[in-house]
Amino acid sequence: MNKASAIRAIISATTNEPIVFTTGYSCRIAQAIADRPNHFYMTGSMGLATSIATGVALVTGGPTVVVDGDGSLLMNPAALVTAGAMSNLGLLHVVLDDGLYASTGGQSTPSGRTDLGALARACGYDQVLRVAEDDAFAAALSDVLAHRTTPVFIHCVLSAHDSAVPPRVSAHLGEHQRRFRHHIQSTMTTKV
Amino acid sequence: MTSQLFLDNPSSCLSLSLAENGFGPFFGTPCGFLAPFYERVERDFGLCTVPREDNAVGMAAGAAMAGQLPVVMMQNSGLGQSLNALASLVVPYEIPMLLIISLRGVLPDRTSENLVMGRLTEPLLNGCGIPTEQLRADALDAQVDWARDLVGGQHRPAALLVPPTLFGWRA
Repeated sequence: MNKASAIRAIISATTNEPIVFTTGYSCRIAQAIADRPNHFYMTGSMGLATSIATGVALVTGGPTVVVDGDGSLLMNPAALVTAGAMSNLGLLHVVLDDGLYASTGGQSTPSGRTDLGALARACGYDQVLRVAEDDAFAAALSDVLAHRTTPVFIHCVLSAHDSAVPPRVSAHLGEHQRRFRHHIQSTMTTKV
Repeated sequence: MTSQLFLDNPSSCLSLSLAENGFGPFFGTPCGFLAPFYERVERDFGLCTVPREDNAVGMAAGAAMAGQLPVVMMQNSGLGQSLNALASLVVPYEIPMLLIISLRGVLPDRTSENLVMGRLTEPLLNGCGIPTEQLRADALDAQVDWARDLVGGQHRPAALLVPPTLFGWRA
């Protein structure tokens, strides 16, 4: 599994669910695979993707996905505390862990002795999964999206390199935000 | 709602006025200057306490994109913590939210550790392009209207600044 195959699996497993992609290559890869209105590309504010997704899930009450990285999770583990405290939060927190700060040149993250899943569990996440293969990840995604309404953490251990990195997010960021906002509001009215 | 009521009990009247104007959900990290107001909001409208102010800004951004008019309450020391969240998320993505920020380090608060941020609070926000109003007990009504127009009407962030004694703090 590499970052692109993991993001492809997330996009295949979802339809209308809001998805927040963390800064760095995740946004760029997602935009290149399928630029859908349920995507929010967080191009700055490293560490806050989970906080944003938590805010979305809190209001919508529906499943919300965050695609985080190991570097961004390590930058802001406080986000786990808030999400984990909300036992009925429909948050699916996916961490794509390549052990690297990929978009700044591939420096190693200082997580060699950190158990990210144990951190999530300690913060109150109801279910914590660890996957290293594409098939296992796809199965976990469809199961979680179909059945869970509590914070779930999927730690994806990436081992394969990504090839060429797609271009930067080019949309006007205000317009991008309004597209996401409009999508959430139009799908919320059909609920409840 | 009359100004006299605001003067009598600014914390309960400000929280009520915000709710009546459609603001919420409320996120925050506690501050001594804000305490009576913070507790009033928590009791009357519910409040999500967040362990770091920039996380509260991130959650408010999510709530705003889900169609709400969120409020984030913080001490101005947390504004330092939140600067990148404002500069690289809220401002460039044009996300509406109301910040309610205490002015620690402003007279009569002479605590040394707060003086620098006391001096920087308005310039930092204004430098980000976020308009500010310093709350006054005799003008709260109009100031909430101002915030409602910016956040709800123009879909912009705005900040209401809380001077030390507004909610009863004493040096």
